[in-house]
Parts: sequence; C-alpha cells; structure tokens
Amino acid sequence: MNEPLADRECPDPPQAAECPQPPQIDWHPSEFADLYAEHSRAIFYLALRFLSDPQKAEDATHDVFLKAFRKMDQFRGEASWRTWLYRIAINHCRNLQQSWNERHMFSNADEAVWENAVAQSDSPFRLLETKELGERIQKALDALPDEYRLLLLLIADEQLSYEEVGTLTEQSADAVRGKLHRARKAFAILFKKTE
Amino acid sequence: MKQQKKFNSEQQQEHVSEQQLTHNTARDFASVEELLRYDASQTQTPAAIAQRLQKSSADLPRPARSWWQRLFQR
Repeated sequence: MNEPLADRECPDPPQAAECPQPPQIDWHPSEFADLYAEHSRAIFYLALRFLSDPQKAEDATHDVFLKAFRKMDQFRGEASWRTWLYRIAINHCRNLQQSWNERHMFSNADEAVWENAVAQSDSPFRLLETKELGERIQKALDALPDEYRLLLLLIADEQLSYEEVGTLTEQSADAVRGKLHRARKAFAILFKKTE
Repeated sequence: MKQQKKFNSEQQQEHVSEQQLTHNTARDFASVEELLRYDASQTQTPAAIAQRLQKSSADLPRPARSWWQRLFQR
C-alpha cells in the first residue's frame, strides 16, 4: 500500500529534496457546502433517531460538520465521505450519550430476549396514518439496545454496504448480518407495541 | 326533494374523499429498512444548522487538502 506523503518520516526540520511538501491548497467554501448538501440529511437523521431529541440532533449535526471542516485535511479517501462523516457522527453521539448517562434498557447479554420473542419480522409494516410515523419509529428505536438501533439506522442507508456498516461498528460483515436479524425482529415487536 | 338529493350527494362526496384520504395515507413497508428510509426522506434538516455552520466556520482557517486530494484535484 502506498504510504501517504504526509505520513512518511521526514527529518526535522524537513528538507525539501527528501520530503517534498506540496503547496497548501485550501478548500473552497463551496466544496464544503456541496459536502454538507449531500450528506447533512443522513447525518441529521442518524443523530435525530439515535439521540431521540431534535435539538440535540441539531447541535450534534452542527458539531459533526464543524469537526469535519477542521479535519478535512485528514481525510485520505480510504472510505467514502459518507462513511467518514458517519464515523465522526457515531463517535460524537456516543460521547454525548455517555456524558448524559442515558439509560440502556438492554445490554448485549439480553439479546436472547429478542431471539426467543414471537414475532414475524418479515411481515410488512402497514400504516394507516403516516403523520405519526416518526413518533412511533422513535419509540421503537428508543427501546432497542444502542447497538441494534445503530445497525438499523446505518443499514437503512442505501449508500452503505454491509462491509462499511461493519467497519463503522467495528465488527465483520457477517456479524452485522447476524445481529441485523435480531435487530429487525426486536424492532418489529416494539413497533407493534406502538400501535 | 331536490335539496335532499343534493345533501345526499354532498354526503357521498365527503365519504368518498374520506376514503381517498385513508387510502392515500395507508402505506405498506416490506421491511424495517424501507420504513426507516421513508422516515428519513420525510425528515428535513433544520436550516438553522447551515446558518450556524457558516458562522462557526467563518473564523476558522480554511482546511488544506490532503495529499490525495491535491493529487487528483477533485
């Protein structure tokens, strides 16, 4: 794998011949605006449904993009912009959650709860009134373990592959598939309860 | 009599539009993902975020492009 110029060991102070430093080219504000326009909805939606609070989600989205703006020079193109932004967002939301000491209804040890529950996760969700949809989805997501909630939100984004979701949640794509099965089932049970 | 007929017709129309409303708002989603995708598509990003970002980033130095961005110049 090619080592990025920035990561090569350079003498201190660097000597131009040994360690060429390309001239700094600044990001044009309109390029950052394009990035925001393309990905802000996905990041805001993740923050909204993960944090369960519109105001906190607004603050988090602002902070995520500001952090991205500051760190744009660190983006190496190994992942897509979307994945990179999601990584910042997930870390940010998790930190916020920890600092608020939010309760966790189920730990990973409780996964069996969903495995043994009787529900048809493959059955379609029929809604007669879509205006309350957001509220019902939020209630169901709030009752899920954080890990399941995050998996469902990420996998719902068609731009992300199982591999990318696995990278973002620090597990293999196969593990993602396995957990998704339980996450879908759990969501179906909880969503039914919101009727 | 004519008035009664008109009244019935109005009632009928009302009933039909109610049915249409119910029909229009009823939706089937095949999976959780589809449901969440629809929910995401209905969620608007508050305009205030962009305005706040503009203010917050105004005082910051422009970020430099990383090595590969300079190479490929997107």
